[in-house]
Amino acid sequence: MGTTRMDRRLFLKAAGLTAGAAATLEVGCLSYFKKGRSATADNREVPTTCELCPNKCSAIAVVEAGRVKKLNPNPENPKSRDMLCARGNAAIKQVYDPDRLKQPMIRVGARGEGKWKPVSWDEAFDFAAKKLGEAKSKYGPESTLWSSTEGFQEVFFKNLGLAFGSPNLVRHPTLCLASVNLAYSATFGTVPSFDLLNSKYVIMSGANRFESIITPDTMDLIGGVMERKAKLVYLDPRFTVTASKADEWYPIKPGTDLAFILAMIHVIIAENRHSKEFVSAYTVGFEQLAEHVKPYTPEWAEKETEIPGKDITRIAREFADAGARALYYAGRRSSWYQNDFQMRRAQAILNAIVGNWDQMGGMVPNAKLPKGEFLFMPWDEPKAPRVDEIEKHFPLAAKGDGVYLKLRENVLSGKPYPIKAWMVYKQDPLNAMPDQSKTLKMIEQMDFIGVIDVQMSDLAWYADVVFPESAYLERTDPVEVMPGIWPAVVFRQQVVKPIHDTKPNLEIVQGLAKRLGLGDYFDYTIEQWVEAEFKDLPIPMAAEHMKKHGVWAASGQPSYGKTLNPDHRFVTKTGKVELFSERLQEAGYDPLPVYAAPKQPRSDQFRLVLGRVGYFTHANQSNNVWLHEFMKENDLWINPKPAARLGIQNGATVSVTSSVGSVKLKARVTEEIRPDCVFMLHGFGKKSKMQSLVYNVGASDAAVLETAWDQVSGNAAFHETFVKVATA
Amino acid sequence: MDIRKRRYALVIDSRKCINCKACAVACKAENEVAVGNTRNWINEDRQGEYPKLRIDFEPEQCHHCEHPSCVRVCPTGASWQRKDGIVLVAADDCIGCRYCMIACPYDARYFQEETGTVGKCTLCSHRIDKGNIPACVETCPSKVRVFGDLEDPTSRIHELLATRRYHVKEPQTGNGPQLYYLL
Repeated sequence: MGTTRMDRRLFLKAAGLTAGAAATLEVGCLSYFKKGRSATADNREVPTTCELCPNKCSAIAVVEAGRVKKLNPNPENPKSRDMLCARGNAAIKQVYDPDRLKQPMIRVGARGEGKWKPVSWDEAFDFAAKKLGEAKSKYGPESTLWSSTEGFQEVFFKNLGLAFGSPNLVRHPTLCLASVNLAYSATFGTVPSFDLLNSKYVIMSGANRFESIITPDTMDLIGGVMERKAKLVYLDPRFTVTASKADEWYPIKPGTDLAFILAMIHVIIAENRHSKEFVSAYTVGFEQLAEHVKPYTPEWAEKETEIPGKDITRIAREFADAGARALYYAGRRSSWYQNDFQMRRAQAILNAIVGNWDQMGGMVPNAKLPKGEFLFMPWDEPKAPRVDEIEKHFPLAAKGDGVYLKLRENVLSGKPYPIKAWMVYKQDPLNAMPDQSKTLKMIEQMDFIGVIDVQMSDLAWYADVVFPESAYLERTDPVEVMPGIWPAVVFRQQVVKPIHDTKPNLEIVQGLAKRLGLGDYFDYTIEQWVEAEFKDLPIPMAAEHMKKHGVWAASGQPSYGKTLNPDHRFVTKTGKVELFSERLQEAGYDPLPVYAAPKQPRSDQFRLVLGRVGYFTHANQSNNVWLHEFMKENDLWINPKPAARLGIQNGATVSVTSSVGSVKLKARVTEEIRPDCVFMLHGFGKKSKMQSLVYNVGASDAAVLETAWDQVSGNAAFHETFVKVATA
Repeated sequence: MDIRKRRYALVIDSRKCINCKACAVACKAENEVAVGNTRNWINEDRQGEYPKLRIDFEPEQCHHCEHPSCVRVCPTGASWQRKDGIVLVAADDCIGCRYCMIACPYDARYFQEETGTVGKCTLCSHRIDKGNIPACVETCPSKVRVFGDLEDPTSRIHELLATRRYHVKEPQTGNGPQLYYLL
């Protein structure tokens, strides 16, 4: 090996950070690269940024003999807390996966039949441009749909859709966390971070943080670098890893979290335990709130939630006593029930009245860092209204993200206008959206589908042309600023040259743009783009620093309390924290969260709940050979009592049937779930034969989930499906 | 420092383990372990009846014993122990008889069909020799494992073993295992 490395243990010691030893967390002071490193073309270490999930952890890629051999965590990123999870470690297999897309391909058989013709990039671009042009001339540019998921190169894809003239960009948030974002924005005017490192008392509803890994939250709560300080109260119908680590676990009746929260607010106000200073100085609508929660007593909530009223009262008291260091944690993938927005808003209100806003151990508005912008030639804004009619149905939702399920309904009905061509980047709507049969119908009515992806996703399997994107370890991407309590700038740079005939997304976009007559809008290289972004970073020698370190973080402790002065204006209608929201009232929604009991399954039905494990979170990870080893197929969790009633043995094959579909998979008879629920893991039962490890293995949750959404945010409601289970 | 004055060990705080498998994948990459084999793993103990339940996770790998029975039974000397305590297999001398696999009280060794030899955890001795820490220790999100030198009184593991209660697995074998599990 031609590399030299500094003594890692020594510098960890010098920084006072050998695991568990640190009393305070110093950030931005650790350097993997303090000493000069020598490298050769074949053997080197390259700092980069992981792309296996949205956390953007900093990693050091070790290249030996021209191959990526190992990814080590980069301690310089305070957000990733000097770790790399199983998925991050397994990113190597994304590059060297025999199932990868290796060259552009055009479909020759029927859609989904799996007959493909390898073609040149020119052929692929010409074909797609011709088809997109046909849709444009027949139905207008708005007849094209552009869907994508968060990623550093997503910006180019979105810009191509807009430059082409389509308003119909649809992104992942309404299949993920739109209801949380909207609820916290409606209350505080922004979505804060949660300071789990310093919190004393944390309540989580279903946000299974020890399996759905989010940085730095997961590590801060388990006590990675530090010992854990917080008491954790966890509500979930399933005994997850988080439940097993919690101080108290309550298998709450699904869909009743709002009742629990309203009763907590009731107790805190009735016993005068709220933060008077914060409420009077920074909020509006406390009197209406106090009046509103009067009927929501703990005794009432006990009947709804099946959590003892005396426990609700005690938890409310403990929560209020922890005050500024108490947190009702918001979580992500908050797409559960049709009242999701109001449930999240009740959490935000509860957090507000105990005065944890902008406090150490509380909710902290995100600190941001400046970044330069590459100025490209602007295009005319698309003229047509959006096909999902977001303005009419979801006036408060984020316009740029769209509303996925309503969009699918409108595409299927052809109203208000037809959608005939679909471009997809880095997303698998066949698994990400509930009700797979509807997505298949949507596919059927497209004249053209083009997919840009690293691997043959299920949607790509049904496409007309697939453009193979280079894996993240083969690409240089735009610079990303990560706002937060510990803000950082991260950079992803090419570690190895593409090993197949693949291109980064920008070059795919450029190839299409050139043929669509839009080349001028994309007349730049990734290097020019990145250089422009480096310019305004608050870092001396920014370009050199980012290339050498891959990350930059502001050093020192977070600054709490910046917004806690009487002159601060929250970005809400009143400029205050809105406990009562006039804006919601004007839009026709409840200005304070009103509880309505959720529909419950009949005695022969179960509620299907979803979740993740630490090594698979996204559907694209189950075909990774290093992760697949831990779980070769998914199974259906069912409590022994109903299992005995139905004659279901552990390991037996069962059918799971909803109103929209039926799947078969093996049963896992387990005590770790409520008797009225069943659970299956996401990411199995693939239709794509180029996901060879999970093709037709286990079952896809999307095939049985029904279409339902949150009324305010349009977020998909994934826990509203009732299923019948029978031996098969 | 002179290698003879070192004694490497791991202290494991199992309560922090969230069964995320980062250690297992990091090991796989670092040591080029074939799919199907594993040098470290996480034991799961699930108990109770709904809703009174518990799950305990316990990461495990070679215990790099003080008196390793695998080394004792090896007919060729392929299984050997470094002065700093790390137990290794010299692949060139291994005849694949698998006595060591039977002798190991922890089932920490595996047979490699491709080479006809036995594989096991090396405590990432190649990384340690360069001043780094083992891959499983480094990558862990919750920093379950603490690596250190028992002969170094300033090391973190010294402090942990002096101030916390702990146990070792299968102490009755007399192997003197060097994975210390905090209670």
